[in-house]
Amino acid sequence: MEDYHKPDQQTVQALRNIANRLRINSIKATTAAGSGHPTSCCSVAEIMSVLFFNTMKFRPDDPKNPNNDRFILSKGHAAPVLFSVWMEIGYLKESELMSMCQVDSMLEGHPTPKQQFVDVATGSLGQGLGVACGMAYTAKYFDKSSYRVYCLLGDGEMSEGAVWEAMAFASYYQLDNLLAILDVNRLGQSDPAPLQHHVEKYQRRCEAFGWHAIIVDGHSVEELCKALSQPRHQPIAIIAKTIKGKGIPVAEDKMGWHGKVLSKDIAESVTRELQSRILSCSKRMYPASPIEDAPPVSLRNVRMPSAPNYKPGEKIATCKAYGVALAKLGRYNERLVAMDVDTKNFTFSEIFKNEHPNRFIECFSAEQNMVSVATGCAARDRNIVFASGLATFFSRAYDQLRMAAISESNIILCGSHCGLSAGEFGPAHMGLEDVAIFRALQTSTIFYPSDGVSTEKAVELAANTKGLCYIRTIRPETSIIYNSNEDLHVGQLKVVYQSKDDHVTVIAAGLTLHEALAAAEQLKKERIHIRVIDPFTVKPLDAKTIIDHVRATRGRVITVEDHYYEGGLGDAVCSAIVNETSFTLQRLAVAHVPRSGKMSELLKIYAIDRDSITQTVRKMLSSSANAK
Amino acid sequence: MSYHKPDEKTLQGLKDIANKLRILSIKQTCASNSGHPTSCCSAAELMSVLFFHTMRYKAKDPRNPCNDRFILSKGHAAPILYAAWAEAGYIKESDLLNLRKIDSDLEGHPTPKLAFVDVATGSLGQGLGASCGMAYTGKYLDKSSYRVYCMLGDGECSEGSVWEAMAFASYYKLDNLVAILDVNRLGQSEAAPLQHNMNTYKERCEAFGFNTYVVDGHDVEELCKALWMAEQFKGKPTAIVAKTFKGKGLKGIEDQDNWHGKPMPKDRAEELIQDIKSQIQSPNKHIHPQAPTEDAAAVDATPVHLLKAPEYKLGDKISTRKAYGVALKKMGDASTRVVALDGDTKNSTFADIFKKAHPDRFIECFIAEQNMVSVAIGCATRDRTIPFASTFSAFLARAYDHIRMAAISQSNVNLVGSHCGVSIGEDGPSQMALEDLAMFRAIPTCTVFYPSDGVSTERAVELAANTKGVCFIRTSRPDTAVIYDPKEKFEVGRAKVVRKSDDDKVTVIGAGVTLHEALAAHEQLAKEGVNIRVIDPFTIKPLDAETIVASARATGGRVITVEDHYKEGGLGEAVLAAVGEEPSIVVQRLAVSHVPRSGQPQELLDMFGISAKSIVAAVKRTFAN
Repeated sequence: MEDYHKPDQQTVQALRNIANRLRINSIKATTAAGSGHPTSCCSVAEIMSVLFFNTMKFRPDDPKNPNNDRFILSKGHAAPVLFSVWMEIGYLKESELMSMCQVDSMLEGHPTPKQQFVDVATGSLGQGLGVACGMAYTAKYFDKSSYRVYCLLGDGEMSEGAVWEAMAFASYYQLDNLLAILDVNRLGQSDPAPLQHHVEKYQRRCEAFGWHAIIVDGHSVEELCKALSQPRHQPIAIIAKTIKGKGIPVAEDKMGWHGKVLSKDIAESVTRELQSRILSCSKRMYPASPIEDAPPVSLRNVRMPSAPNYKPGEKIATCKAYGVALAKLGRYNERLVAMDVDTKNFTFSEIFKNEHPNRFIECFSAEQNMVSVATGCAARDRNIVFASGLATFFSRAYDQLRMAAISESNIILCGSHCGLSAGEFGPAHMGLEDVAIFRALQTSTIFYPSDGVSTEKAVELAANTKGLCYIRTIRPETSIIYNSNEDLHVGQLKVVYQSKDDHVTVIAAGLTLHEALAAAEQLKKERIHIRVIDPFTVKPLDAKTIIDHVRATRGRVITVEDHYYEGGLGDAVCSAIVNETSFTLQRLAVAHVPRSGKMSELLKIYAIDRDSITQTVRKMLSSSANAK
Repeated sequence: MSYHKPDEKTLQGLKDIANKLRILSIKQTCASNSGHPTSCCSAAELMSVLFFHTMRYKAKDPRNPCNDRFILSKGHAAPILYAAWAEAGYIKESDLLNLRKIDSDLEGHPTPKLAFVDVATGSLGQGLGASCGMAYTGKYLDKSSYRVYCMLGDGECSEGSVWEAMAFASYYKLDNLVAILDVNRLGQSEAAPLQHNMNTYKERCEAFGFNTYVVDGHDVEELCKALWMAEQFKGKPTAIVAKTFKGKGLKGIEDQDNWHGKPMPKDRAEELIQDIKSQIQSPNKHIHPQAPTEDAAAVDATPVHLLKAPEYKLGDKISTRKAYGVALKKMGDASTRVVALDGDTKNSTFADIFKKAHPDRFIECFIAEQNMVSVAIGCATRDRTIPFASTFSAFLARAYDHIRMAAISQSNVNLVGSHCGVSIGEDGPSQMALEDLAMFRAIPTCTVFYPSDGVSTERAVELAANTKGVCFIRTSRPDTAVIYDPKEKFEVGRAKVVRKSDDDKVTVIGAGVTLHEALAAHEQLAKEGVNIRVIDPFTIKPLDAETIVASARATGGRVITVEDHYKEGGLGEAVLAAVGEEPSIVVQRLAVSHVPRSGQPQELLDMFGISAKSIVAAVKRTFAN
C-alpha cells in the first residue's frame, strides 16, 4: 500500500457532497415516479460517488467507449442512483431523471440498455457478476486491455447460487481486473438478509471462493477510496457494511421500507436535511480518462470461407457438424469465441477448442454462469459468442436467457442431445421443452438443422444474426440431405421431398425429418405421395410458404417433432396456419415424461417414428375420403 | 458418547461390499453398453458404509416414512445405487442387467419409478436442495429422528444451486443433514476446477456454515468414524469431503482422463472384475442395515378442503396475489400438512398472510429460487407435506430446470408466481413474467391455474393442494373485481362462460387482468349493440377445449384470445391447439409481441394491445373481415 495516496480533504468533501446529491436525486426521482427503491439507493451513495468520481476511468460523454471501465449494477433496483450518477456527470438532464418510469422515458424501473451507459439489463438478482466475469475475461484474455470491470451487488442477492458460480469462475481464471462491491445493507425485501451485518461471514465465503476480500465502512469515503486502490493480484471483493435508507431518518436500518417511495412531504424534509450536509467545496470532480488500448473489433459479415465439405448420403451427427462448423468459422474471425459447461465432448465444441484453445472458455457445470459470461463477452460488440451445452440444461439458465433478451444481447446458444435422441440417459438429459422456452424469448431465432450442411449454414447465419440465436442439435448420425452449395436463409423452409401430386404435407426437423423421409419412401411404395418440409428455422417460421404447400396438398398437414406438444414446432405451425379454415392439422409429439431406452424404441413408443407418420398419413387420407 | 471403532470383521465386510458394488456397477454398464462405471467406483466405499453401517432403514420398505433418506445427487452413478439395493435385498441381482432397457425401471439416471428413489436426479446440483427440504421436514415438521444423506459429485459443486442449499442448511441448522462430496477429481470433459484441492472444498463448506470433515473416501474406517461424528454434531449440518479416485479399483483406468460415461471395454471387463473379486474375502457375507426409530407419523393422504367458503362479495376489489395469501392461510387452517415457502418476496406474493397465521409452517428461502423449488420438492416427498412455494412469476424462470426435474420426479409440488405480465407497470420488463405460461405448459405433469378473481383464486389453491403433479398458479398484481359468487364451483379443466347472450358475435377468451379487460370491452360493445361471449378458462392446462369449441361455434367460429403474456406458448397457443383440428374456427390473438418497458399498468396494456380498447378494435376487425 506504499503507493496509496490518501485523497485530500477537498476531494473527500467533494465525494461526500456527490453522495448526498445522489441521495437527494434518487429520492426525488422515485417520489416523482411514485415507484422505486430509494432506501436501496441511499445505502450505496458513497460507493457510487467514489467509484464514478474517484476510481473508475471512463469518458463521460461516450459511455459505450470500448476503453472505458465497465460498471454493472447487479442490484438493479437501485437504478435511480445510477441515473443520478449520470445526471451528476452531466449525461442526463434533471428533467429526464424526474420523468423516470414514465411510459415514454428511456429511464426504466430497472436498468436496460435503452440507456447508453447500461451494457446489460439487471433487475433479476444475482446475474450481474457473471456478466462482469465475461467482460473481465474479455478484457484480460481477448482484448488484452487495461479497462477494468466493477460490479455492485446487494447482500440479498448473495443468496443466489449464480453469484457463487461467478465467484468460482473469476478466481479460477484469475480475473484480477474484476472488482465486486457488496452493499451489505442488512435488509432484504421482506426480512433481513440471512447473514445480516455479519460482514466477516461474507469475507470468509469470498475468500474461500478465491477472492481477496476487504471489509470497509460503506459510508466512509476515505475507506472506500483506500480499498478501491488496493493492488490487484486476484479478483477483489469490497465488503461494504452499509445502512439501508442511510440519510432518511424514518427509514434508516428499518424493515418495511424496501421498494417504498417517500411521500412528497417526507421527501422534501429529507432532501432539505441532506442539502444542509452538502458543504461548499471548490473542487469539481471529473472521472479520469481511460487508457486507449482496446483494439478495434469488427464482428460484421462473418462468412465461411468455403462451402461445407459434406457429400450427399454421408453420415454425421448435427452436434458434431456444429463443432466442425464452429472451428471452421473461427479460422476467419479472431473475435469468434466459444464456451461450454464441461460437455464439450458431447456438444463437440471441443473441435473448436482443439483448434483455437485461446478462444475457448470452459465454464464447468454452471449453466447460469455460462450464459451470463457469454452475455458479458458479447457486450459492446466485443465478441461473437457461441455457448454450448446439452439442450435441456439451458432450462437451468432460463432466467439469464430471459434477461439476455431484455439486454438486447447478441449471443448464440447451441443445445445438443435434444429430445429422445438422448436415449439411454433417460428423461433428465432429454431436451423436450427447449424450443418452447426459446420461442418465448422475444429476440430469438431458432435454428433446427437436419444435416451437416444445414448445421454449418446455421452456424454461419447465427454469427450474423442479431438477438439470441439457438441452434438445436442431435446426437445420432443422420444423412447429408443438402448439396454443399444449398442456399439456406433464416425464415426460409426447404422442401426435401415432393412430387407433382402430393397428398399430405409433413413438417419435421432434425431426427424426425429423417423419419419423415423414410416414411415418404415407404408410402411411395403404396402410391401415397407426401411432401416433406424442413423448416430450417422454427422461429421465424416460413409461414407463407408453409401455407402454400399445405394448400397444394389439399389442406392436409402433419407436424412431427422430438419435443413436447406444448410450445414446439407443432404449436408454431398451428399459429402460422390458424386462419386457414380449410386446413386439417395432425400433430405428432412427445406427450408425457419419457424414459430410458434405445432411441429407436423411444421414437416408436412416443409415436414420432416413421411408422407413426405413415399411419397418420393413411388415417388422414382415409378420413378425408370418408368425408367425401 | 464416544466412538467405537467397528471390529475388523465389520470393516472387512464393508470393504467386501464396496467391491461387490463395484463389480455390479461394471456388469450393469457392460450389459447396457452405456453408463458411468468409473463414477460408481469412486463412491463404492461411501455407498457401502452409508447403506450397511450408518443409515437406518427398512430394506424391504424403502418408502417407509421413518427411514433415513438417501439422495444420489450425482445421478449418473445410478448403477451403484441399484447395486446397493440389490445388496440390501430389495432388488434381484439378475435384474440389474436390465439397466437402461426400455422395459426396466432401472433407468440411466434414478427416477421415482423405483421405490427407493424420492426425487429424480441427473441434472446436476439439485440433490442437496431436495435433501434440505427433507431434512427441514424431518427436523421441524415431522420432528422425527430420521436423517438425510446426500451424495454429491465434485463436478456439480460448480452449480450455484449447491451453494444455495449449503447456505439454507446452515441457516436452518439442519444437523440431521449430511452432504457427502465424492471428490474424484475428474469431470466429464476435463478435471473439475478444484481437482484434489481438498482444503479449498473444506474452506468453502465451512464458510457456508457446515461442520466439515475431510476424509479418505476409500477408507471404510475413516468413513464410519466421520459419519458417526456427523450424527453427534449438533447445530450444524455436516459435510464429508471425501478424496476419492474416479475408476478406483480399475487397473489402468483409475484416475485417468477420458473414462467418464464409458463402460468397460468388453475384452477387459472380465479381467477387471476378477481383479476386484480377488480382494473380496467373504463374498457371501451380508450386512443388514439397522432398523429406523419409528417416530414419524403415518402418511395422511386425505384431501384437504377449505373449512369456509370464500368470503368475498361480488364487486369487491382484491388482487389475485392477495387472494392467494388469504386462501393459503385458510388451507393452513384446514390442515397442518400445508406449508408455505417464499423467496424473500412474501410481502409481494402475500405468502406473509400464511406466515402470520402459521409461522411454524412457513419457510423463508431468501433470494434463491432454485433452492426454494428444490426444498419444496423435498418437503413434498413421501407425501409428508403439501407445499406451496411462491415468488414473482418471472423468477420461477430461474428454477426451470428444477421444475422440469420435479415433473420427472413425479412431484406434487405447488408453485405460485405473482406479478405476471405487463400489468405490474413501473418496475419494468425484468420483473414481468411473460413466458411463464409457455414454461409451465411444457411441463408434462403440470396443471396451470390462472384465476381471475378472489373466489376463483381461493378455489385454485384448494384444487392445487389436492391435484397430483406440478401445479402452477399465476397471480396478478392489480386489484380486480370479484366476479364469482362464493358458492361458485370450480374444477380443473372446466372453463366459465362469464358473459353470454343469444346473439354473441365473437368469443373472447381472457384470464387474469385481460379477463377484466374483456369484461370492459363487453360492456362497451353492448352499448353499441354488439354482444360478445366472454370465457374464463380458469385452467390453461388442461384447457376446456369442449366449452371453447362450443362457444366458438355459437359465435360464428370467431375467437379472440387476449393474454398478458408473450404470443408464444401461452393462452393463445393453448387455444389454437384446442381448436386446431376444428375447421372453420378463426382465432385472433392479442398478446405482448416484444420486450416491454416501464410505465403505468393501464398505459402498458394499451401500448401492447391487450386492453379493452384493443379487444373492442379486434372485435370490430373481425366483422370487417
